[in-house]
Amino acid sequence: MSKGQVIKHKWILLACGLVVMIVLGIGFWGVDKIFPTEDRTWQTMQANGVWRIGTDPSFPPFEQLDANGQPEGYDIDLARQIAAQWGLKIEIVSIGFDSLLDALQAGKIDSVISALPYDERLTQNVSYSAPYFEAGIRLAVRQASPITSVEQLTALKSAPKVAVEWGSTGDMVGRRLQRATPAIQLIQFSTPEEAVNALVQDQTMTALLVDQVTLRQMQGKGLPLKPIGPVLESNPYVIAMPHKASILQAQVAQTLLNLQASASLTKLENRWFDK
Amino acid sequence: MIAIAIFIVGLSVAIVYYFRSTVVLGPQQTVKTSNLKIGVHTRLTDEVEPWKIKHSLEMVREMGAPWIVEYFPWGYMEPKPGQYNWTHADLVIDHANRQGLTVIARMGFVPEWARPKGTTDLYLDQEHFQDFGRFVAQFASRYAGKIKYIIIWNEPNLGLEWGYQPVAPAKYVTMLRMVYPLVKAANPQIQILAGALAPTLAPPGSEAGMNDLDYLQTMYADGAARYFDILAVHAYGWHSEPDEPAAKDVVNFRRTELLRAIMVANGDSQKSVMITEAGWNDHPRWTRAVLPSQRIAYTIRAYEIAQKEWPWVTTVCFWAFRYPWDAKSYQDYFTFVRTDFEPKPIYLEVQRYAQAPAK
Repeated sequence: MSKGQVIKHKWILLACGLVVMIVLGIGFWGVDKIFPTEDRTWQTMQANGVWRIGTDPSFPPFEQLDANGQPEGYDIDLARQIAAQWGLKIEIVSIGFDSLLDALQAGKIDSVISALPYDERLTQNVSYSAPYFEAGIRLAVRQASPITSVEQLTALKSAPKVAVEWGSTGDMVGRRLQRATPAIQLIQFSTPEEAVNALVQDQTMTALLVDQVTLRQMQGKGLPLKPIGPVLESNPYVIAMPHKASILQAQVAQTLLNLQASASLTKLENRWFDK
Repeated sequence: MIAIAIFIVGLSVAIVYYFRSTVVLGPQQTVKTSNLKIGVHTRLTDEVEPWKIKHSLEMVREMGAPWIVEYFPWGYMEPKPGQYNWTHADLVIDHANRQGLTVIARMGFVPEWARPKGTTDLYLDQEHFQDFGRFVAQFASRYAGKIKYIIIWNEPNLGLEWGYQPVAPAKYVTMLRMVYPLVKAANPQIQILAGALAPTLAPPGSEAGMNDLDYLQTMYADGAARYFDILAVHAYGWHSEPDEPAAKDVVNFRRTELLRAIMVANGDSQKSVMITEAGWNDHPRWTRAVLPSQRIAYTIRAYEIAQKEWPWVTTVCFWAFRYPWDAKSYQDYFTFVRTDFEPKPIYLEVQRYAQAPAK
């Protein structure tokens, strides 16, 4: 082989290598990012003037049916407020909770807003908004309690009594705390309401482990309770959207930020929990 | 190129050997329990990491459950006719035995080569019943001394579980008639479990399924009694407490007694029953769920009923001990242990019950 032929072969090899790298790069990085596809969900919403929301209206105060059988609740108002900022109306589609994401992937709805917990495993076909409500487990004390943190509670020498709903996630978190601090006494009740009432009425009870939805509902009824410390077991509610609806996702992200900045989310929470 | 290929193959073998060899079986264990009928249905089929298989089974033992039901899919283990891959089954069975657990092996899941294209892995034509039987016989032979109980198929009274063919008890009985002698010839010690029917009130002619009571009676009418040794029963409680009386139009835990009555009426009272699926669910939003506190109380009561009232029941295996990953649906609220192995309160309460002195 002559020197010229060797150089020619090197160039061919180099070119082949470049082609392979480009193909692999597209594969790894994603075709969508290099050749962005149009957001048909957003286009259809704009064309029809409607945002189709899937929800299971059986989880008050997030979604329920009113006296006329119409869906109402925190999530319905949230959807309405977001859509209003885009100049759209909402159409609520009632779907069983376990079928919501299937309906989204089948294109029967544009988004799911239904007190839907974030699922880190289902991110290939579905995209999620930032959390708009944290429903996880909190430690709560009476309003007048001097305890302000989980550390303060676990440092108490008097074997603090903590109320939980027997078998619940709050109970599980309590047993976790108990493994680290055996002095904690878990007092188990059959329902979350009984656990809450025990803390309110029994002065020997120090604290309560409960999900944020129940806690806010009880606060809304005027019970003198306050959460302390961080969320001990997270359960964030998010909006689910089609994976390819990039414009819709960006719009939802920005609008949620706007609603947060204007305290609209807080007002919404107060409206539905403080009834 | 050859050197690179050898290096890659060698590295792969070393990695596989490393992970296999680093999870030792450990010393022989025994289950300490006050109720020898406590069981769970494990879900180790898709659990690929050996240490997780071992740890799951350790936790079953530590809970005080001497029994497990585990699924051994035919399609995973005989991907081509006559070519077997026992690696995963070896792991599960060896670790279960070492933890002192008795394994009830559930068989099903049809390989692609044994069914027409476009069918589901639960579709099995009569022409392949012999292939299925030969596979189960191979399984029974390989695990002689380690496995004593095998369930033939799961919930054949549901269209979904019958590969979306019309549900047909006679065809299931034909399956039993062909599989039973092959397995017995391979390993006479094996006890064949049949039934495992889904509790359902499906009306006659429903595509979804057939009422389990009707299905069992039809099985007997078609001569099934000679081709199984133990009846497998599924006993879900849904909303009902375990002491709610049985009734033909209700799905509850004591529906088991109606299935037992059919056995007795057909002269099969000498056979026992194994409850290979059961349970309550405590999902906060699922329509068939109960409160977490009810789930604990009902579960323990169900184990007690089997122990004190049902001498003909050998074990109650609750669905499901742990999933390899979260289903992120109501299914997660059937489990006793989270995917990260954190015990749920129900696990700790059953453990406390099992460790208490027998009353």
